[in-house]
Amino acid sequence: MELCAGGRTLLAGADLRARAGEKVGLRGASGCGKSSLLKSAVGLFPLAAGEVVVDGVSLSPATAGAVRARVAFVGQEPALGAETVRDALLLPFRFKAHRDRRPAERRLLETLDSLLLPASIMEKACARVSGGEKQRVAMARALLMGKTIFLVDEITSALDPESKRVAMEALFRPELTMLSVSHDPEWLARCDRVVSFEGGRLEEAEGGT
Amino acid sequence: MSGHLTLPALLVTYALMLLPLALFVRLRLGLVRVTLVALVRMSVQLALVGLYLKWIFELNRPGVTAAWMGVMLLTANYDVLGKAGLRRRLFFSRTLMAIGASVGGTAAWFVLLSIRPDPPYDARYAIPIVGMLLGNTLRSNVLGLERFYGDIRRNEAEFETYLLLGAALDEAVRPYLRTAMRAAINPSLATMASMGIVSLPGMMTGQLLGGASPTAAIEYQIGIMISIFVSMVLAVLLNVRLTLSVAFDAYGRLRSEIFR
Repeated sequence: MELCAGGRTLLAGADLRARAGEKVGLRGASGCGKSSLLKSAVGLFPLAAGEVVVDGVSLSPATAGAVRARVAFVGQEPALGAETVRDALLLPFRFKAHRDRRPAERRLLETLDSLLLPASIMEKACARVSGGEKQRVAMARALLMGKTIFLVDEITSALDPESKRVAMEALFRPELTMLSVSHDPEWLARCDRVVSFEGGRLEEAEGGT
Repeated sequence: MSGHLTLPALLVTYALMLLPLALFVRLRLGLVRVTLVALVRMSVQLALVGLYLKWIFELNRPGVTAAWMGVMLLTANYDVLGKAGLRRRLFFSRTLMAIGASVGGTAAWFVLLSIRPDPPYDARYAIPIVGMLLGNTLRSNVLGLERFYGDIRRNEAEFETYLLLGAALDEAVRPYLRTAMRAAINPSLATMASMGIVSLPGMMTGQLLGGASPTAAIEYQIGIMISIFVSMVLAVLLNVRLTLSVAFDAYGRLRSEIFR
């Protein structure tokens, strides 16, 4: 694939693959295009050349909905897009694509609990939850939607140690495939592979397990 | 009292302008020149339109009336896009269709079904009513379109989150349509709520000064307010609906080149 922005080539001749369940870490200097690469996987950043294939489905305008249905994107400060946390968790199930899959209350509580979030957070205004809690709510929402592929952009940089531990526990599950941008040595050490952005190319880097 | 102001009466009214002009000079606000230019422009433009409308009303030919309304519509559409900060090249034909259909449809309903002039295309009714609808639709659509596309641009991460959560484009834009619609109609709702108590609207005032009975003036005013409201709501909705396909790419991303 090839990525360009503002007339500048960010990435050329790159080939990045992740097997099911694999955790791939991405690292590189600020502004080198790591986040753009993640966004290109869900059609939110245009590819100058090349192709994105998710579970055998080639990303195109016609398949973007199907690809996005499998992929979760969690950023540093995720937009929850609703007034309260409960509304945010149930937001996807108000859209036609997921309307018939609204989770039961018990499943909501179990998912929150697995991310060490108390049940009371559901009634909290999204504007009043911390950055770390927002990330966990975004993860809980993705898990409720049954997403198994996660694109994660620098989520640990603003987290306290406890929130970071919980985020790692949630995302390094064997059944999840993850492509994550990070500068955190502890995070990268837990990845199966680490890929480095070097001079507009992707190179296998040392690190990972 | 006569039905119109005589030239000496008009000059007396112009004399009223000496007061703000004198204050501008005294306070050294630097506003004398712009005020005089605006005053002269307003006077010349209205005098010319007055002459032109007099000719159109006397002629009362459907083709001429329609042509003048077309000029009004093109000008309004040009202004809407310019003031909303959107590229005319991309949007012009679509917003023209939206504004034309909503103003034309509402005006036709009000004139042909409520007023029922004889002949039905009577320029004396058609032109002022289309003018009032266009003026108000223009203001509301500038607010609505600017708010709609501006909000999506300002909240790009949130908008993209909706797409990633499975929203179709029309579902993802709905929160922004809601706030845009509120921004567009709020001034009208406020005016409607205070009308008659806080203010007497221009059309009604004009009719009363022209010698119409208060009852007749109120009847027309109610009709025109309802028509304005319907027309502006339809125009904002149609404008958004018709411009979506050029404003977003095939992946649902807002195209940055739509902004000027």
